[in-house]
Amino acid sequence: MHRSNDEDLALSKRAARGDSAAFAMLVEKHERPLRSFLARSFGSDAADDIAQDAFLKAWRAAGQYDGRARYSTWLTRIAWRCRLDALRKRRSDEVAEAPAEGSVGLAAEVDDMLARLSNTERVSLVLCEGHGWTHAEAAELLSLPLGTLKSTVARAKAKCREMWEEASNG
Amino acid sequence: MADEFDRFLKSALAPPERMPDRKFVARVQAGVGLEERLAAQKSALVGDLLKQLLALAAVAAGLWFIGRAEPVASWFTQSPAAGLAILLVGFGSLVALLGQRPLRGGALSKLNAS
Repeated sequence: MHRSNDEDLALSKRAARGDSAAFAMLVEKHERPLRSFLARSFGSDAADDIAQDAFLKAWRAAGQYDGRARYSTWLTRIAWRCRLDALRKRRSDEVAEAPAEGSVGLAAEVDDMLARLSNTERVSLVLCEGHGWTHAEAAELLSLPLGTLKSTVARAKAKCREMWEEASNG
Repeated sequence: MADEFDRFLKSALAPPERMPDRKFVARVQAGVGLEERLAAQKSALVGDLLKQLLALAAVAAGLWFIGRAEPVASWFTQSPAAGLAILLVGFGSLVALLGQRPLRGGALSKLNAS
């Protein structure tokens, strides 16, 4: 098991015993990648609310984290379920949300690229290319067969490359 | 070209390098604190409820036992309506007496105060 996982497992066990300071350390460590993933995938307006909801659920379920997966993977799964629950409540499952507007430069270019991808393509690409997730981890999160996930990432990457080359060539 | 694009994509999609967002951490901590308080109040309420149910059961058992005693039982046979009314009034008074005390100093008042 990775050293960071050991630390996270120890903190999570302390959190399960009601140690909110230990949980605050986990929040400090994991809020940046989680919120970044959520903002890239669903837009920054929704990201913070989903992230907060996910952290509260992680606090309640702290005793269930067993250290087999990375804490970030476990937390992202919780956030993903929070997002699905919110979507179910709003009955708009297939709404592809573009990332937040108003960014400039490189960020705007990336946001524009991601906005042209489908929801699944966007999430797969952000996780596997940006957050270092394995294909297997992303496939499990998205409930997709491994082969489908791999081809989704490849397709998303090819679309982005095409857009990037178009932009580079003027 | 492909390497350059891969580097661009990885750096663009990677989480930004920054210090932890203290405001966000505080927001989550506030939510955790609220959950903790609500959970404590909930368990106190459940405890109060169990105590009251136990007290009610004890009172009912006591009244039933008294009702079985020979002089009371014969009086009940002569005037069942009056006996029942007295039993109900007695039971109601005891319920009010036992039921009020835990609620005043217990979880409900804490819940109202928060």
